[in-house]
Amino acid sequence: MQITDILTPERTLFGVSGGSKKRVLEYSSKFIAQQIPSLDADEVFTRLVAREKLGSTGIGQGVALPHCRISHCDQPVGTLIKLRDRIDFDALDGQPVDLMFMLLVPEDASEIHLQTLAMLAERFADEGLRRALRKADSPQLMYEILTANQLPSGED
Amino acid sequence: MSFETVFLLAGVLLTLSIMASVVSSRIGMPLLFLFLGIGMLAGEDGPGGIPFHDYSVAYVVGYLALAVILLDGGLRTRLETFRVGLKPALSLATIGVLLTSGLTGLIAMWAFDLSLLQGLLVGAIVGSTDAAAVFAMLGGSGVHLNQRVSATLEIESGTNDPMAIFITITLIELLKHQVDSLWGAGLVFVAQFGIALPMGVLGGWLIVRMLKRLNLASGLYPLLVTGAGVALFALTNILGGSGFLAIYLAGMVIGNSRVRQLEHVLPMHDGLAWFSQISLFLILGLLVTPHEMVKVGLSGTLVALGLIFVARPLAVLLALGPFFRFKWRELGFIAWVGLRGAVPIVLAIFPMMSDLEGATLYFNIAFYVVLMSLLLQGMSLPWMARWLKVQVPPLPKPVRRENLGIYSEDDYELYVFEVKTDTLDEVPLRQLRFPSDARVAALFRGRQLIHPSGSTLLCQGDMLCVIGREADLTVLGKLFSGDAAPTLNRSFFGDFTLEAEAPLKDVAELYGLTLSQGQQDMTLGAFIVQRLGGQAVVGDQTDWHGIRWVVAEMSGGRVTKVGLMPCEVDRGSGNPSD
Repeated sequence: MQITDILTPERTLFGVSGGSKKRVLEYSSKFIAQQIPSLDADEVFTRLVAREKLGSTGIGQGVALPHCRISHCDQPVGTLIKLRDRIDFDALDGQPVDLMFMLLVPEDASEIHLQTLAMLAERFADEGLRRALRKADSPQLMYEILTANQLPSGED
Repeated sequence: MSFETVFLLAGVLLTLSIMASVVSSRIGMPLLFLFLGIGMLAGEDGPGGIPFHDYSVAYVVGYLALAVILLDGGLRTRLETFRVGLKPALSLATIGVLLTSGLTGLIAMWAFDLSLLQGLLVGAIVGSTDAAAVFAMLGGSGVHLNQRVSATLEIESGTNDPMAIFITITLIELLKHQVDSLWGAGLVFVAQFGIALPMGVLGGWLIVRMLKRLNLASGLYPLLVTGAGVALFALTNILGGSGFLAIYLAGMVIGNSRVRQLEHVLPMHDGLAWFSQISLFLILGLLVTPHEMVKVGLSGTLVALGLIFVARPLAVLLALGPFFRFKWRELGFIAWVGLRGAVPIVLAIFPMMSDLEGATLYFNIAFYVVLMSLLLQGMSLPWMARWLKVQVPPLPKPVRRENLGIYSEDDYELYVFEVKTDTLDEVPLRQLRFPSDARVAALFRGRQLIHPSGSTLLCQGDMLCVIGREADLTVLGKLFSGDAAPTLNRSFFGDFTLEAEAPLKDVAELYGLTLSQGQQDMTLGAFIVQRLGGQAVVGDQTDWHGIRWVVAEMSGGRVTKVGLMPCEVDRGSGNPSD
């Protein structure tokens, strides 16, 4: 599974105003329901919140990967969001979050679900990538950075 | 030789040994081996050419040094490690020593053409693992073992000397035809443990009371512990108990008492333990006559290899396998870390002191076996820990850690952390997810003290002084540790961590897992513990439904966080030091 299979430039958001974890998840749920009409914003939101209750999806270094399975969804759907301000996400390392990749997968896709998440976590573990994403000033650029085969080398 | 010459030699040897410790960490050679080596070089066959044959001096020094090392080991043994380590360690310290000694004895009997009793005596002498060697290895080699393994090894090495001493003494008496009956020998054995246990616990408790009550200059507290500890050691021996066990137990009672004065006691005892180790190994190195030891070379090698590859593994297997839930890898590692050290050499002086026939042979064999063990097992230890995957990622540590000493119980500490990651740049302090009790007390930036407030923006390189409790350390460490630790933790503990209290059916719902009837009402933590069986430790993992579930965090013996990752992804987990 490639990131290009699940992410589109249209689903890359830049400078979203944060507020709180709940507000951001609510906003993302509404956004994805507008993009893919078969999805129900309330269901997405409820399931994302239920997932967070089991343990935060903030994986550290300011990155969060909220995810859940969802009905009426025929393929994995990713959304990349950069927040304007950092928000408290109750993350593993206690750091506030400003980079978020939301992943929704079909009910029957439990096999690839974790594989995809692992692939994303691996990608975001790259310090250079995180830095490049934080510096990027447009959704298009963010999309290109994340989907590029060659990781932009961290200039350090 | 004048006193001044003796002092000069002692001073030079001590200094050389300390400088050698720098080399040791660079070339990965076990420190204790270097100390022995320096002693041997200074001795009659080396360039030093010092003829030292005084077994009784070596015996006294060795005896005392072992007591001090065990006291320090006890001071540093955390009571919480008993949860997973005590029972297996006691099994190793009793049945294990008996089996190791017996098997090694048979090998020695065959290799050196000795009588059964003589062979068994050799086995008994090299029967116990060495506290000094194991403590040094666990503390200094940068190997961070999972708790089940480290606790077992640590407690084993602190408690198995009485058994080896007992068997050695009994066999010497048998060889000299001084034993009335085996029944009498059995009584001696019971007394060794039976007297040491109450003496150690009671003595430790009394010393704690003294530490609390007496108002002393801070430098006197550690001396008080040393003095009272050695007195307890001697008294227990006089009463017929095992002084070694008693002083180890007393150390443990003191070390776990959380009295404020411990902050004065621990650093000095660290130094004392080092001093004891160096003196012990230097003197033993001086004592041996290497060219005589060479004569036992071939047969000695057989005994050493037999001990390392046959006796110890079999003993570990039989003492632990049927009774405790260890993984094969863990059993393999415990078998490999049967490090021999000073104890066998000190025990080998016993036959000398009681004028037993062939005493020099026993001494040379013991010395040779210890050298082989230190070299072979000691040097390969970090590599073995990686290969057998018994390591867990170490927790990030604060730059400094200081006890505040305001309340004697449950005290607050001051931690200094460096902000190592640029992801915290420009982040206001109030946005950090802090453990409820911890507070930022001060912030240093470019050598300037800044008064921290909620709106203070962080910056890479800041030094933060945080007041908190020990329980907050994990979270704080993760927060400030920078990039290295999270990446390492991720490959070991998985991408996500779930709360252990989460209902299993919610987790199953989330990842599309099917549950059986009985699993519906369980929490995730309870389920994982059930699957693992026995006592869980951080780093334990189990594969289920194509997912690898890892115990990521524990508190007070309970699993609090569980990590997960897909099974198929091979990230070489278990090799956190790579």
